[in-house]
Amino acid sequence: MAHNRRNKVIARILTIVIVTLLQFSGIFADCGFSGTCRTVRAAEEIDGHAYVAESDAYRLYMKEEDLSLVVENKETGAYMESAISYDDGKNNDSWLGAMKSAIVMTMINGNDDTQQADLINDNVNKNITFTDNGFSAELYWTKYQFGLTLEVSITNDGVVANIPDASIHEDGTNYYIGTIALYPYMGNSYLDEKEGYIFVPDGNGALIYLDDKEGRFKSGFSGMIYGGDIGLDESDVTTLLMDRYNTISDAEKVIAPVFGIAHTDDQLAFLGIVEDGEARATIECIPNGVSVDYNRAFAKFILRKTYTQPTSNNSTAGSLHIFEAERSHSDLRVRYMFLSGDDADYSGMASAYRTYLQKEGHLQQADTSYNTRIDFLGEERESFVLGTSSVVMTDTDAIREIYEDLKSEEVTDILSVYKGWQKGGLYSLPIDSFKVSSGIGGAGALLDLMSDCKDQGIDLYLYNNALLINPDEKNATFNVVKKINKRRYEMETYMDVYETLLYLTPQRSEELLNRYIKASSKKGVSNLALAGVSQNLFSYTYREDTYSRFDTQDTYSGLVSEAAGSTELILEQPFAYLWEDTKAFLDMPLYTSSYIFEDESIPFLSLVLKGSLPIYAEYVNFEANKQEFFLKMVESGSYPSFYITKESSAELIYTNSCDIYSSEYSSYKETIAQYNRELSELSHITDGAVIEQHEILEKDLVKVTYSNGTKIYINYGSGEKEADGISIPSMSYEVSR
Amino acid sequence: MGEHKVKKALKRKLRSALLLMLITGILVSGIKLPAKADTPYKTYTVDGYGSVTETQTAYLPYETLTKVGEETLVTPTDFTLVNDEYIYILDSGNARVVVSDMNGELVMTFGEGTLVSPRGIYVSKDRTTYVADRDAGAVFVFDAEGNLTQTYTKPTEAMYGETQEFLPLKVVANASGTLYVVCESNTNGIVQISPVDGGTFLGYFGTNATKATIWTIIWRALLTDAQRAKMQSNIPATPDNMAIDDKGVIYTITRGEHNDTLKRLNIAGVNMIETTEYPDIPAAVAAGNHDNVFVATQTGFIYEYNNEGDLLFMFGGSDDGKQRIGLSTKVEAIQIGLDDKIYLLDSEKAQIQIYEPTEFTAYLHNALYLFSKGRYEESKEPLGKVLEMNNLFTYANMAMGKALYKEGNYEEALRYARIAKDKESYSDAFWEIRNVWLRNNLSLIVMLILGLVILWKVLAFLHRKKQILAGPQAVLTRAGDVKLIKQVRYMFYFVRHPIDGCYGIKKEGRVSVLSANVILVLGAFLYILNKYMCGFLNKTVRDGSYDVLTDIGMILIALVLVVGCNYLMCTINDGEGKLKDIYCSLIYSFSPYVMLMPFIFLLSHAVSNNEIFFVQFGNFCMWVWIAVLVFISIQEINAYTVKETIKIIGLTIFTILIVCLLAFIIYVLWSQVFDFIQSIFGEVVYRIGS
Repeated sequence: MAHNRRNKVIARILTIVIVTLLQFSGIFADCGFSGTCRTVRAAEEIDGHAYVAESDAYRLYMKEEDLSLVVENKETGAYMESAISYDDGKNNDSWLGAMKSAIVMTMINGNDDTQQADLINDNVNKNITFTDNGFSAELYWTKYQFGLTLEVSITNDGVVANIPDASIHEDGTNYYIGTIALYPYMGNSYLDEKEGYIFVPDGNGALIYLDDKEGRFKSGFSGMIYGGDIGLDESDVTTLLMDRYNTISDAEKVIAPVFGIAHTDDQLAFLGIVEDGEARATIECIPNGVSVDYNRAFAKFILRKTYTQPTSNNSTAGSLHIFEAERSHSDLRVRYMFLSGDDADYSGMASAYRTYLQKEGHLQQADTSYNTRIDFLGEERESFVLGTSSVVMTDTDAIREIYEDLKSEEVTDILSVYKGWQKGGLYSLPIDSFKVSSGIGGAGALLDLMSDCKDQGIDLYLYNNALLINPDEKNATFNVVKKINKRRYEMETYMDVYETLLYLTPQRSEELLNRYIKASSKKGVSNLALAGVSQNLFSYTYREDTYSRFDTQDTYSGLVSEAAGSTELILEQPFAYLWEDTKAFLDMPLYTSSYIFEDESIPFLSLVLKGSLPIYAEYVNFEANKQEFFLKMVESGSYPSFYITKESSAELIYTNSCDIYSSEYSSYKETIAQYNRELSELSHITDGAVIEQHEILEKDLVKVTYSNGTKIYINYGSGEKEADGISIPSMSYEVSR
Repeated sequence: MGEHKVKKALKRKLRSALLLMLITGILVSGIKLPAKADTPYKTYTVDGYGSVTETQTAYLPYETLTKVGEETLVTPTDFTLVNDEYIYILDSGNARVVVSDMNGELVMTFGEGTLVSPRGIYVSKDRTTYVADRDAGAVFVFDAEGNLTQTYTKPTEAMYGETQEFLPLKVVANASGTLYVVCESNTNGIVQISPVDGGTFLGYFGTNATKATIWTIIWRALLTDAQRAKMQSNIPATPDNMAIDDKGVIYTITRGEHNDTLKRLNIAGVNMIETTEYPDIPAAVAAGNHDNVFVATQTGFIYEYNNEGDLLFMFGGSDDGKQRIGLSTKVEAIQIGLDDKIYLLDSEKAQIQIYEPTEFTAYLHNALYLFSKGRYEESKEPLGKVLEMNNLFTYANMAMGKALYKEGNYEEALRYARIAKDKESYSDAFWEIRNVWLRNNLSLIVMLILGLVILWKVLAFLHRKKQILAGPQAVLTRAGDVKLIKQVRYMFYFVRHPIDGCYGIKKEGRVSVLSANVILVLGAFLYILNKYMCGFLNKTVRDGSYDVLTDIGMILIALVLVVGCNYLMCTINDGEGKLKDIYCSLIYSFSPYVMLMPFIFLLSHAVSNNEIFFVQFGNFCMWVWIAVLVFISIQEINAYTVKETIKIIGLTIFTILIVCLLAFIIYVLWSQVFDFIQSIFGEVVYRIGS
């Protein structure tokens, strides 16, 4: 290791010398090309990067050869680099190009979508213009005949790198841009040279420590922001159980477009926010040992993809491998917020992100007072002779009884989502009018219940999945989503009653939802729990036109903000761009996707949202380890959610909801009362406060500090633990004020 | 007793040591502790109908052992847990045995220089190690210190077979030291060697049976000797792996043996379980602590069974580059800890993945244990917990049904048995309930019958005196005179006098196509009614599943095929029958179905397994009757002899098969042509379009 370090130092000195020489010769060239010629401050440079601009806290340096950056903390002198400064000699030209260039692209050339274009290995015409707070570089790859402009500016909280959509132009006919990775080695480190971690936006949040991984992992985290795209099939090899069942659960979606790296020994960290183009980008967080020995985290924008175009209905008969004719259009912008001192950790990243969201108006202050969420399932359907028959699980009278019963247990702060309230049951989709299932008591009974709830201070929301259409119940010939290869997208349910469900086109979703809102508000119903559109994005074709994820995002955000204007709206697992329009966050994941390279799971999203938006966890019902799940709720400040039915869930055995294997009220009454007691008290103590600091004190021991001074210690271990003089029993928590 | 105490003390020590480490936060060298995380894999179970359904997570990924001390493993192929104190890992790539403690600290290594290509390891409770070495052609025995004490090579007994090689792959030993060795390409079974006289071959054990289906027998009869020689020889499969439990019961797994994939062999080598759900590529088997059995597949799925071979859980999965916790690449061995943790050895990842049971599984194991010991009353509590967490868990429903039955709560027992599709318990509970019902209502029923008889007598008397029933009687007579009703009623005559009946159909026009259709509709209705609504014990389809359109379609297709083919055959064989006559006589031959089915249907609701014979017998009589009627009507309508009739029936069946084959060929050909045209069109469109 020491040997490596020495090599590195020598390499650095050599680079500085060489680059300084180059820089001097470059001044004239620079002046020759660009209009605004500035003095190059050769005296101040780091690793061959010349000074460009500064803000109150940071200085920006840049190397013209590859446009790589160094960001330095003015006060401490600590800095982060976007290019590797030490070459371990194991990397080929292509890797070195990727490790140093500001922009690394993959190109599509015929069927091949793997070729790389960067600033080192390719002939690139650069035209660099310096501005007051950064620079702008017009780039053109002569061989491949495409170009773009990279704009970098320093702000008070960090650096913003931007590629305007208008600047991207492809002039040739052989090479097209596939993906663009922006500063892929920003904040990189070699093996375990730095202490710290990579923050991964997986589930609620995860960390990959910057220790030496000894080459254990073959790949790192790669997650499409806002979930995968059903419009473009991802080829995926999965070994099935009994050749039929995919036992592996889907990975958690990337709910917020963020990532980060913290060097805790330097007390320097950055949080990357993908500000623009995020709907079609992936976050890559890759530990050392995956192909090369550097730790890195970055955003990769997708402009074009190849896909398989079947030419017949029989999948084996024939298909073409082609690429998208039109690239997707959006500015591509990443904001790197730099954090120093005590803020240079994931708690700091979360605070910075919260402040950013608030400043940009993406996060409003909502009523965060405590509620136990108790969802009900109304009507489901099971097969019967020539059609289906109704299975009523919880009617309005039953709900009333349950509320009464809970009142006697002192559970009064309740938020409920009523699923399957509509005529025809849970899967009678879409809902475009206010027709209530007669099985649950009909419209009159439901309206009575809702008004009674209002009087008692219970928020009862009606559930509406505006994305899905059930082709067995409704006419789904038109207005359903087709994939980019013009084949209809069919969502397999693997259930017996309704085997497939389809997606409505976003326009149709909007139209039908508006129709529903109009009909329901006429009846005085304004509480709406919206699902489907809040947690999916896709590209699709309809009639002869192709729509990108950006189009879908536009329609959905319009639809949601319109709905938020006319109803009391709560959203199921909403993506970050919808947070401003929801009054609550339903189904917050408390875990990660459990990748083997993740070292720690952290409640990052909860840290961001706690105090601004009430967070409701996923259903308690289906958790195998209830106590651990409970502690996770304590740790993340989430409120509990239950999926409840009056009847035994054995009644659901022949319905599409047969995966709800436990929901009977009588089984959950005690748990509800107990969780309500403990979590509402906790919530009372931390009311209105945000989480300032979240620390992993030792393995299985976590400390959460609120802005009002409340500290909560959570012990996940099998033995008693002690922290700050407080002893915490096994699988339990303690509060200190 | 003494040993037990020591074990307990050691365990306690171990636990406190572990605790200390956790508290001080020291990361144990070899073990990677994963982040508190959700499981990336789903858990499935199977219901009474054999459908696979999702259930709670049964086991969570707990820890991963990637190194032992500083020693890295190279393609380990087997391991054994000893008293939850030591892990003996067969580090095959390095041809040695690596002994680790439960924290992943190195205890010792041995076998270097002796082992050549070891494939299987077994360690007894006293830490005697047996290693099966394929290339050395030997089983090596080491003592607790790792010294070689014994080498078993190829048995010299003639019974072993002189030309038979000795290529040991897996080995286990029972309490008396008798070895059971699975050898490569030895199809005779497991080699059983006694330690007496430095190794005495005792014989083969648990040989798999060869299976010859009817088809292979027919094939073989048709083939020439040369062709037969080319066929895959029908020799029994060698077991792939095995395990032994505390009682000396041997478990084997053999791929491709279907229901016999997993076997539980007693001392005599007799299989005691049969599984309906079995893995295709089993890699390893292990006995659990509650009479349960675990089978791991090479692809990373783990199956858990109870002592009767009922599947409890399936979970895990293949990594396929997904890099998520608890998934495997190539599984070689499985072991169960005393605390029910599962240890899974992955040779490609060179690691041992440990899974811990969840709360749910712990309750289930508790219930399994109590239930297998016959403590039904006590088992109700954990069963209740399991059912509270999963109302639909088949095993728990079944056990609960049985427990409640034992308790005398028949109504509830009936409900649970039905959910679990446990027909036996259902029948027992039903019998009891019916018994009680009969006891309570017998007098009422007798009185009711008596009342009806008296009423009838009175009416008859009054009718004789005053003709009070003349009106209704006239209506009935008039209705009976309606042509269609008369024609339908003809079936009652037909079933009793088929020969005359056929004459009536053929010559006298006693029936019409319409009346036959009426009977057809009635029959189809009864068929569907009986299929979906009959008593639970007689039901052949899943509760809650309905596919009426397919049923109707099948009836119609069968009808068209039979009538059509029969007509075709009759016309070219000098049959006299017209299409209409053949159709009507065939339909009328099915009259017993229409006449008897309502009674069979009602009866099916009233019988338990004890009297189910009556339903089956009724069915049998009905079908025999129908067969006789069909035979006679074909003979009579066409004026055939008995011999000719048999010939025609044979020909008809043959024609039906040919028609089906033709239809299939035409379908395949046309779909190919259609696909081809569509592909060309599609490709042209996209080429031009782009």
